[in-house]
Amino acid sequence: MKIMRSGITFGILAGLLTFLFGGWSVAIIGSLMGVGLGMGLGNGLERKDPLKIAKDVAPTALVAGAILTLLSLYQNGFVQDAIGKQPAQLNVVIFGNLFGFLGAVIFTTLLAGLHGLPEKEELKWKMILLALLVVAFPFIDKLTALRWTAQIIFALIFVILGLGLNIVVGYAGLLDLGYAAFFAIGAYTTGMLSSPVHGIHINFWIVIWIAAGMAAIWGFMLGAPTLPLRGDYLAIVTLGFGEIVPVLFRNLIDITIKEPLTCWILPMFRIKTSCIILVEHYDLTLGEKGISPIGRPSLPLIGEFESSNPITWYFLIIAIILLSVFVIRRLRDSRLGRSWMAIREDELAAAQMGIDPVKTKLAAFALGATFSGFAGAFYAAYISGIFPSVFEFSTSIIILCVVILGGIGNINGVIVGGLVLMMADRLFLPALKDFLASLLTHTVLPSISNPVVQLAVKDNTNPILYRFLLFGLTLVIMMAVRPEGMIPNAQVRAELHPDDEPVIEAETPMTKKAIKG
Amino acid sequence: MLELKDVHTYYGNIHALKGISLTVNDGEIVTLIGSNGAGKSTTLRTIQGLNKPRSGSVVLDSMELHKLPAHEIAALGVAQSPEGRMIFPRMTVMENLEMGAYMRKDLTTFKDDLEHVFSLFPRLKERITQKGGTLSGGEQQMLAMGRALMAKPKILLLDEPSMGLAPLLVELIFDIIKKLNEEGTTILLVEQNALMALSIAHRGYVLQTGEIILSDSAKNLKNDEMVQKSYLGVE
Repeated sequence: MKIMRSGITFGILAGLLTFLFGGWSVAIIGSLMGVGLGMGLGNGLERKDPLKIAKDVAPTALVAGAILTLLSLYQNGFVQDAIGKQPAQLNVVIFGNLFGFLGAVIFTTLLAGLHGLPEKEELKWKMILLALLVVAFPFIDKLTALRWTAQIIFALIFVILGLGLNIVVGYAGLLDLGYAAFFAIGAYTTGMLSSPVHGIHINFWIVIWIAAGMAAIWGFMLGAPTLPLRGDYLAIVTLGFGEIVPVLFRNLIDITIKEPLTCWILPMFRIKTSCIILVEHYDLTLGEKGISPIGRPSLPLIGEFESSNPITWYFLIIAIILLSVFVIRRLRDSRLGRSWMAIREDELAAAQMGIDPVKTKLAAFALGATFSGFAGAFYAAYISGIFPSVFEFSTSIIILCVVILGGIGNINGVIVGGLVLMMADRLFLPALKDFLASLLTHTVLPSISNPVVQLAVKDNTNPILYRFLLFGLTLVIMMAVRPEGMIPNAQVRAELHPDDEPVIEAETPMTKKAIKG
Repeated sequence: MLELKDVHTYYGNIHALKGISLTVNDGEIVTLIGSNGAGKSTTLRTIQGLNKPRSGSVVLDSMELHKLPAHEIAALGVAQSPEGRMIFPRMTVMENLEMGAYMRKDLTTFKDDLEHVFSLFPRLKERITQKGGTLSGGEQQMLAMGRALMAKPKILLLDEPSMGLAPLLVELIFDIIKKLNEEGTTILLVEQNALMALSIAHRGYVLQTGEIILSDSAKNLKNDEMVQKSYLGVE
């Protein structure tokens, strides 16, 4: 019964989503819903014969798919009309809904059924399936003309940023409120080294490493003064650094450097040109105007990456994420990873185990910053322009929220957190805005006679205006309901829900023997 | 092997150790007894490098510990089972024990040492996947000692191993300390339970408000009138 209820909930939610996007979206939404529902249902069930599980969840899958399709058909038939959009073409209606229904049913039963396999097999098949979906997505997206890929690339940039910050905050337990500074350093390094502004054109494939290196160096430099600090004090210092960096990039527009020694010597000989000037009125960052255009990567067979074709960028960032995940997993399981966790738990005790707190913390800052360097380089090349306003405090907070919402200390959690949060921001809200705007134009607005009220209603129903309000609300609800994040780290969960793992005080025969010696 | 010479340690303006001098020889159990605030734990913290002495020296086998940071002292083979235990609460028992062996370069005997710890504390083996923070007080004490042993220390510093434990467990812990010493571990034991401490130690020092007021063999201390009156509760 319980699984049927989650099936109905999923079906309704997914169906309502189709209201916003319309057209082919039902096919993708249905498949994604199937994946989510299947995984969720599977994890809640006992491990038994796959076919049996599939049989058990099949009714739920059918119901969820049916609800989705019905809502989607309602959208095609009535909602579309009500918001004054062109009615969908017949073939889109038929095949979109067919694929949506099939996707929902097949993926739900398949993923739930996979849970019946032994754990290793299950993981293997899920990975294969996931890889297929990731590879197929941009092509399906292109075929169905949904144009989601470009937005998903932004979400993936924040996934990398979240993964990097997770090293500092999740593993080493150092609260960093200025992480966007490293993102900025990576992006500006790329901008300065591969744009006509300074006449330097270094290949993207080299620049991305330089950007990561620069970010790491600055991570190290920020780490050094914060070493004696803990907790709140550390957070304040990182906050300051996060404020300084964008201000610096905004203002490095008129640099004059005089050679100090000659400034002192030449006036003694009463020479009129009193100083040797090394740099005069040099504009390094172009301030508010930002740096553009920035060189793009190119590959032998594909040629130069173009902004009109997001597929190449999509696969580039997927590759960067795979590399990052691989490296971060190795780091986590290494000696260094262990010492990060020990420092997070208890710095004094860690020192007594022989861990050098100085080196360990510096490594966390530098390595964490490295990944934002990658993200920054990619961002600069993808947008082909960088502006100081992108790297403000709110960006640092959003990255932190990606980590916290997803599950602090958990790689999979951070990936899911980044995708959900940024897709809500970049896909869901704009679609909701369009939907509400056209809905109001065709229903409420014409009946309001007072033009002032009409304008007020029209202007204030834009959900993008409430972006940060909704964002804050999500955080508040999340912290109240599930403070450990969507996919929590085992250790954090143990801390927040100690009841799940009760203290075992009862004495077993063996412990009795131990006490008596 | 370990020698403290005229060590003065301060907490801000508070003169906590007023010229402590003591020695621990190879293979001994030496105990520091004294009342609350006498400076017992501060002495251990000074040896460990968690507090720096303002003057005086701490020397282990001709290495000057007072000039080194805490993590380097740990690497030289000084392990402590600290007061209040200081285990890693969100790591499992196994991970805590692994942390103990963090500084060891030679890990060929890691498995044997682990087995050894488990033979001393069979309870830990039952709790191997449990989080440190969810253990009971006695188990946490065992874990702290086990973790210190995993470092294969030259000298083991034990700070109040009996604190807050049931009488049965106290006896077990002291039996284990004795056993460890018989296996060749040098031990510096800080204890409020003076009777227990003196019954297993070779020598003892009596601390009072940051100074050593008495030092003798454990046997003599046990029979000393002043010690009996002040610390053993004999009327």
